[in-house]
Amino acid sequence: MHSAVVHLQGSSLQVHLVSSTDTTTTVATADTSAAPTAAASTETTVAGTTGTEPIVVTAEPLGAGAPEGEALVSKDPGPIVPEVKELLWGGGSFVVFALLMRFVLFPKVKKGMDARYNSIQQSHESADAERSGARAEVAAYEAQLVAIKAEAAKVVEAARATLEAERGAKLAEVNAGIAERRAAANAQAEAARAAARDQIHAAVSDVAGRAGELATGRRPAADVVDRVVNEVMAR
Amino acid sequence: MEAFAHLVATAADDKATAAASSAGFAYGLAAIGPGIGIGYLVGKSVEAMARQPEAAGMVRTTMFLGIAFTEALALIGFVVFILIGL
Amino acid sequence: MIAESFKFPEINSILRWRDLFSSFNKIALIAVAAAVIGSLIFILAGRKDASVAPKGVRNLAETSVEFIENGIVMQTMGKEGLGWTPFLLSLFLFIYLCNVPGIIPFLQMPATARMAIPVFLSLLVWVIYMGVGFKHQGIKYLTHTIWPPGVPTALKPLVGVIELISNYFVRPFSLTVRLFANMLAGHILLVTFALLTNSLVTAQTQQFMLKPMAILPFFMLVFLTAFEVLVAFLQAYIFTILTAVYIGGSAHPEH
Repeated sequence: MHSAVVHLQGSSLQVHLVSSTDTTTTVATADTSAAPTAAASTETTVAGTTGTEPIVVTAEPLGAGAPEGEALVSKDPGPIVPEVKELLWGGGSFVVFALLMRFVLFPKVKKGMDARYNSIQQSHESADAERSGARAEVAAYEAQLVAIKAEAAKVVEAARATLEAERGAKLAEVNAGIAERRAAANAQAEAARAAARDQIHAAVSDVAGRAGELATGRRPAADVVDRVVNEVMAR
Repeated sequence: MEAFAHLVATAADDKATAAASSAGFAYGLAAIGPGIGIGYLVGKSVEAMARQPEAAGMVRTTMFLGIAFTEALALIGFVVFILIGL
Repeated sequence: MIAESFKFPEINSILRWRDLFSSFNKIALIAVAAAVIGSLIFILAGRKDASVAPKGVRNLAETSVEFIENGIVMQTMGKEGLGWTPFLLSLFLFIYLCNVPGIIPFLQMPATARMAIPVFLSLLVWVIYMGVGFKHQGIKYLTHTIWPPGVPTALKPLVGVIELISNYFVRPFSLTVRLFANMLAGHILLVTFALLTNSLVTAQTQQFMLKPMAILPFFMLVFLTAFEVLVAFLQAYIFTILTAVYIGGSAHPEH
């Protein structure tokens, strides 16, 4: 198997013809068209005749430092020149992959994902609904509780009012009785006092009249005694 | 890279030597600016992320975009290095 | 001594492999495998019972769908962009599954470290966001790409040039280069440290300290492999989110 390696250096062109067996042929020339015809020359060197300076090229097995069995083949493009077969295979496989992805693979996976998300969303929503239902029940229960409590409070309040009224009535009654009795007692005491005073008055008048009679020999007038006694007693 | 061997061994091919050294210069010079730029960019992004951790996702996306644009210059230098040096 | 034994291989020899057959190589294999694995995940997920809590492969599929919807579409396009989810999802999965072989043993090649797939994807995205722009805004989209609504007249010449270049050239170019260069750089780093470890272990040397030193690049290799997992995810994410931003921007220019 033969392959050619072309080096362009300034105005001259070097063509290596490399064989995969042990014979190595090297041709150096300044003219491209001359290269294939000169390929018959032997192992060592050929100086370019039309170039400005002769170029000496030593024979050198190609890809000497390369890993075994992986030496390059065919001609040698620059490292950044895209190769047609790589372009076709790479581009073709990408286009096929992208089309497959767009129309078959992605929709299927995406559909599964969406379905799962929707089911999760739905169960979320039903859980939410249940939770809000439970909340509503709790709220209703609490409202009922509040109503009952209010009712109870009302009953208690009413009972308390009744009790209060009854107590007030009783209290008033008792107070009235007390006042009545107190008035009666007062009247009695007043009457007793008046009686006592009358007795004292009479006794004092009697004593005073007697005393005046003894002193003067004459009984003073009853109304004078009475007035004096009244004056003294009022003092 | 064969040119490097020439440099050590004989220096017979002046042209290859010049090509190799200028390739090295080309890449070295091309790496300076992007190096500074990416350092500054990432530093500022980390600062922003530390200040506002809730915006970290957006900052990170923008940071990668910025790095991509900045790095392109260094990579063009690398391609030039490949073109003239190898 | 080391310099002689450690010679970095020709760049193409770490990126290109012998064709499996004449028009099918490793990159094509990885791309086809990515499409097949991505489809398989969703086929298997679609067969499972959707009504129970997802687990296994269905969980993976649903997580990725939700990641695209909540992490990308809702953040950039809002609710009306949800129709783009299948496209963005396949974009993300395809890029991620093309990136990840960079660290899978025996594959060890991110398919996106070759120019073909990033170029194809960003041109596709470019065509799509242009198409969306024309569909949603009609012929006015042309003026909107050059002068976004609300630009003062004095700034129009300047903004016009910037926006023109940005919309038509820089966006697809930077999308391509970002993905491609990140993955290529990661791959080259891994190759470098693997080769360094190898050459230290197998060095023909009298210095006894040299072979144990191989542990250093080996640790770096392990660390970088872990880092590449992150990069593979991040690049797929960034490509997808930028696509979403561009599509959203041409559907609704006022945002």
